[in-house]
Amino acid sequence: MSDKILTKDSAASFLAGLGGERDLFAPALAEGKLAWAPLEPGREPLWEFSNTQMSPKEFFFPQTECMMRFTNQQDGEQGMIMRPEPELARERVLVNMRPCDAKAFGVLDLIFCQDEVTDDPYWRDKREKSLIIALACNDPCPTCFCTSMNCGPHSEAGADVLLTDLGGKLLVRGVTDKGEAAIAELPEAVPEDIAAAASAKEKAEAAITTSVEMDQVKAREVMELYEAPHWDQVQESCLNCGTCTFCCPTCHCFDIQDETQGAAGRRVRNWDYCMSWLFTQHGSGHNPRGAKKDRVRQRFMHKFKYIPVKRGGEIGCVGCGRCVQLCPVNIDVREVVRNMNA
Amino acid sequence: MDNQALTQGIREAASRLLAEGTVDCVLGYQAGTVPMRERPFFAYNPEEAQRLIWSGFCCNNLADFLIRRPAGEIGKVAVVAQGCVSRSIVGLIKEHQLTREQVHVIGVASPGMLDRDKVQALVGPDKVITAAAEEGDELVVEGPGFNQRIARNKVMRDNCYTCVQRNPVIFDELIGGESEPTHGGVIDKVAAPWERLDPAGRLAAFAENYQDCIRCYACRDACPLCYCHVCFVDESSPQWCGKTQDESDVLTYHILRAFHCAGRCVDCGACESACPQGIKVRRLTSKIEKDVREFYAYAPGLELESVPPLSMHRPDDPQGFIK
Amino acid sequence: MSETQEFEPRIAAFFCNWCTYGGADLAGVSRLQYPPNIRAIRIPCTGRLSPTFVLQAFRQGADGVWISGCHPGDCHYIEGNLFARRRFTVLKNLLEYVGLEPGRLHFSWISSAEATKFQQTVIEVTEAVKALGPCRFLRKDIGMVA
Repeated sequence: MSDKILTKDSAASFLAGLGGERDLFAPALAEGKLAWAPLEPGREPLWEFSNTQMSPKEFFFPQTECMMRFTNQQDGEQGMIMRPEPELARERVLVNMRPCDAKAFGVLDLIFCQDEVTDDPYWRDKREKSLIIALACNDPCPTCFCTSMNCGPHSEAGADVLLTDLGGKLLVRGVTDKGEAAIAELPEAVPEDIAAAASAKEKAEAAITTSVEMDQVKAREVMELYEAPHWDQVQESCLNCGTCTFCCPTCHCFDIQDETQGAAGRRVRNWDYCMSWLFTQHGSGHNPRGAKKDRVRQRFMHKFKYIPVKRGGEIGCVGCGRCVQLCPVNIDVREVVRNMNA
Repeated sequence: MDNQALTQGIREAASRLLAEGTVDCVLGYQAGTVPMRERPFFAYNPEEAQRLIWSGFCCNNLADFLIRRPAGEIGKVAVVAQGCVSRSIVGLIKEHQLTREQVHVIGVASPGMLDRDKVQALVGPDKVITAAAEEGDELVVEGPGFNQRIARNKVMRDNCYTCVQRNPVIFDELIGGESEPTHGGVIDKVAAPWERLDPAGRLAAFAENYQDCIRCYACRDACPLCYCHVCFVDESSPQWCGKTQDESDVLTYHILRAFHCAGRCVDCGACESACPQGIKVRRLTSKIEKDVREFYAYAPGLELESVPPLSMHRPDDPQGFIK
Repeated sequence: MSETQEFEPRIAAFFCNWCTYGGADLAGVSRLQYPPNIRAIRIPCTGRLSPTFVLQAFRQGADGVWISGCHPGDCHYIEGNLFARRRFTVLKNLLEYVGLEPGRLHFSWISSAEATKFQQTVIEVTEAVKALGPCRFLRKDIGMVA
């Protein structure tokens, strides 16, 4: 895969060139908050920022998504009709996604599109129609721990193209065939640029001071981790809200519901969160995770043990640190995993 | 008394209560792992009590944890409580969720809690803050390449400016003595800003206020008043409030939750501190409590004897709008 | 609805079983004429009325909501309507604060003998809601999202 160069001055027009038939999006500051927003062709995206408060998973997994519509007029011409929702009309380019987020969606690919039977067409369609241009982190945050989670500030996993900021210009690395095609016209990078990028990578990786070991979590049996005594402390202050789940780029649970209005209706899926009491409530009245401790433990066990066991070692966390920043009671996932590993 | 001294006082009280067996647990705060956020902490013995701290970033309402312990397990709990938290405790006792004997209140006058979003906005939206420490009337904020002093009273949580009861209304012991009861703001002046708008303007302001809501329910879960076994949001037969991100569903949730707090909300601000999106969650409850003060001359949680206003009635209650 | 047709509001009307529902029945038996726009929903007492009902009506497309019960002092359950009175005060003030137009939410005390008052109130409520046009406040429309 090739290494190209793009000056920041020509970035806006290069991106506009990728636009046209595609919609462009990039992180932007709006009213003091960093969030993903449409990028007008001709405008330069932000190059210096930490990360958006909410992850970009909504591009592939909207918080509310209509799956199909139906009419239940049995006497009308149409009878009982179910209509699928149209696929995405236009492709997108997601510019300056951070490597942790890009990697996260690669992990979710393994879950949403596991095999022929379990293939989520809604997810797949949006993934296939998106070009991801990731921007490597030169200045990781104090809460980042991606290097402990099979990821890193300059990780290429999940991206089509990886940009490394070298000051006035960016090293542009093609990661996938789709990415290579997008950057084909750009000039080749010289060895000095490639070396500068490599050194920025080393510097960024060294700047990540948080380390979260997972070796014991990997080695131990599920029940040993499950029955560890520290869960009693972790769960005490948890509010069982959905903050961590909703800001997380790898959390993916949803609840499907039919909503009707007169003779018509739609089937929607909405984000759901395993911290909720209702999440596992059975129609019979039984709730296998009726106690708060069970639910809190579940989330960490799922992300750090069950997913790695079931998905060939991939971890259900990329170390982005959003939950650490946003948890209203400051439950720190780094601490929890260290206790799991202790 | 400054934070250091209050921290010491709280630790001593907690140690003593735990060593003597007066309480099974002391509910307070320990230092957070990120700047500008302390974390609720449950100390079960004098050693753990040494981790307790007090600062302007103790932004949760600890009474929220008094309602979540499984039945039969509550034992006796000591709670570090400033004015609003002590009023929440009074409210819970009034609503029979707690008995007075089950809680030992370690009272502290509130310094006025700080709003981390305001600090961030003042320093610069995307500057990384690595430390924020209170020094008297100032907050010293640090990060790579900057060190800034901010006046504390520029970055307090909204509700603290209009607090009418900084001192705890009930307590078993008081650490550090009482302070001025108010911060000087007049709540009725700011409680209902949309009153000056016409209906279309009000609806627009309302929808805009809650447009970033992600239905995480942090506001509900941080609130000590929300202890229903089955929240109305989770009812499905019928479904009162949809679970989608449709504006109708989001706004219905907020209206109904605010209404359920009517005559009970002490304006502690924990909901706003908990909200990950920085939403001004208090807009609706502020208006409701202003009406409750006006129509029923009542402010919740100030004393144990009175009946909550929506659980009682008087012959001369206003009804001019009823045909 | 075509442009030429006049707007006919749909009003969800919550009547307490003992007083207003009886008054409505008496109006019917007495052949008193009134507009057909109300959909009567019988509840045991206005004290049963939860704000969830009012919001559900608006969500489902009601243009107006009217709640009516026994006069204070006459409640079949002694004090249900007295609690309701406080609840209504808070609810009306809250909903109008967040943008519900005044004139869409109505309350009345109508006894089972007051057939004429019932007729007059139906007319009054229907005219008030009709003048405001279709209601969009909190309207849930499943066609709108994604």
